[in-house]
Amino acid sequence: MTFLYFDPGLGAMIIQTIIAAVAGIILFSKNLMHKIKVFFGMAKPIEDDVFDDIEIKDSDVENNNSSER
Amino acid sequence: MNAKNAHSSSFRDPSGYVFIDNGDIKRTILPIYFKQYRALNDSGFYNTLFQNELLIPHKELSSSDEEIIIKAEKIPFITYPYEWSFNMYKEAALLTLKLQKFSLENGFSLKDASAFNITFYNGKAIFIDTLSFDFYKENTPWRAYKQFITHFFGPLVLAHYHGAQQLKLISNFIDGIPVKMISSMLPFKTKLSPTLYSNIHLLAKLEDKHNEDYEGESKEASLSKQGQLNIIKSLYDYIKKLDLKEQSEWGNYYNKTNYTDDAFIKKSDIINTWVNTIQPKSLIDVGGNDGTFVRKLNNQAKIALVCDIDNNAVDFNHKTMKLNKEQFMLPFVLDVLNPSAGIGLNNKERDSFLNRVKDFAPDVTFALAVIHHMSLSGNVPFSQSAKFFSSFSKYLIIEFPKRNDSWVQRLLNNKADFKSHFDFYSQMNFEVAYSKYFNIESKELIESSERVLYLLKAL
Repeated sequence: MTFLYFDPGLGAMIIQTIIAAVAGIILFSKNLMHKIKVFFGMAKPIEDDVFDDIEIKDSDVENNNSSER
Repeated sequence: MNAKNAHSSSFRDPSGYVFIDNGDIKRTILPIYFKQYRALNDSGFYNTLFQNELLIPHKELSSSDEEIIIKAEKIPFITYPYEWSFNMYKEAALLTLKLQKFSLENGFSLKDASAFNITFYNGKAIFIDTLSFDFYKENTPWRAYKQFITHFFGPLVLAHYHGAQQLKLISNFIDGIPVKMISSMLPFKTKLSPTLYSNIHLLAKLEDKHNEDYEGESKEASLSKQGQLNIIKSLYDYIKKLDLKEQSEWGNYYNKTNYTDDAFIKKSDIINTWVNTIQPKSLIDVGGNDGTFVRKLNNQAKIALVCDIDNNAVDFNHKTMKLNKEQFMLPFVLDVLNPSAGIGLNNKERDSFLNRVKDFAPDVTFALAVIHHMSLSGNVPFSQSAKFFSSFSKYLIIEFPKRNDSWVQRLLNNKADFKSHFDFYSQMNFEVAYSKYFNIESKELIESSERVLYLLKAL
């Protein structure tokens, strides 16, 4: 079977397994480092940041943004 | 297929299309997307995103076997990725990842991750492509992953290493910056970063290899949901920490102006008096730096576009806007001497700045401390700048620094031998040229400065 048109993102699809593994290691080690730092009282204070966390809140009550309106 | 007058940017997605109906933004959803749309609606997915102000709200108008029509909330002025400052770009990238994570957790997945699916509205980045969500199939990789890298991650990393000007590249590559190009432009040391190596350099290599694979022999890829969440989370963390290295040329402009504090207050007093009589609902400040002057107005417009050529000034404005939770402010990057052109299919897919600002038709335009830069640095004759300003708004508040103003002197001295070519730069010539397009309603000298403020009304 020969395809005339090939999805240009194929490499990107395959590579995601590798990237996910790398990302998993980074996240795991960062988490571990953070726990160690917290244990030794070295954790940095949370900076004043304009960007939210990645979580989206499901409930309206929890949602500060809309209750401020 | 596009029975109605489809919007010039809406042709890529077979799920439906956007059309304009008497100024309203409406969307036709075609049967191919009915299942997804119903699921997104019934599960409350859309609603949660509306309440969190992450997706442009819409209402269903009609539903039949052939089409469903929804009406979306209208955004008064669309800004494009190549007009965003670094942190605006970051906000848009983070929003995309946030949406993908939320989608995955609810059984959906973003089928594309174009930077053009996002714009700024009410002081926040907002997703505007309602039909971008598809069902998630277990153990499939993210289809839009590469698009995310070429539209968001790549440009941001390039800007981190080479400056915010890199963000303009996407106006030439509206389908994303080629991964190979991103990879080749990054310094060697980025190969030592696991995140950058895997997401950019390795991706570029693999993409290259598989582009030659015309036989289609490669097996279908699979990836667990947790694996995909790991990618998203690590990209989110990485982007959130990314910053710009360069210092601003205008960043602390207000500290190095030739104004005395007194003149600065006088200037804003005069402007406030005029603005109070015009009572504008909308305004644009061309060369508005970090939005300082617009924030000094005591009669605040509902929406204020504040643009500047300097990415850092716009970035600073964006930060202030976020910290103050302002909804009226819309900062963006604009070079008056080269405003964004119409690009994409038929040169109409992404509209030019001039078309957008003409549609927006701000009640008043501010051009404060801009004319000497246009005339003396950009060599734009008064007649041309007058024509430009008169093309989109009724009132113009313009500041004219006289010849003996220190900034003007500095610009003139830069001309060296050609200084005499700029003899035209005088208050009288300015008034004559601008009178062809405007009526001079009022003019006032700003005390203890060499600057004059004009209130002009288009003829």
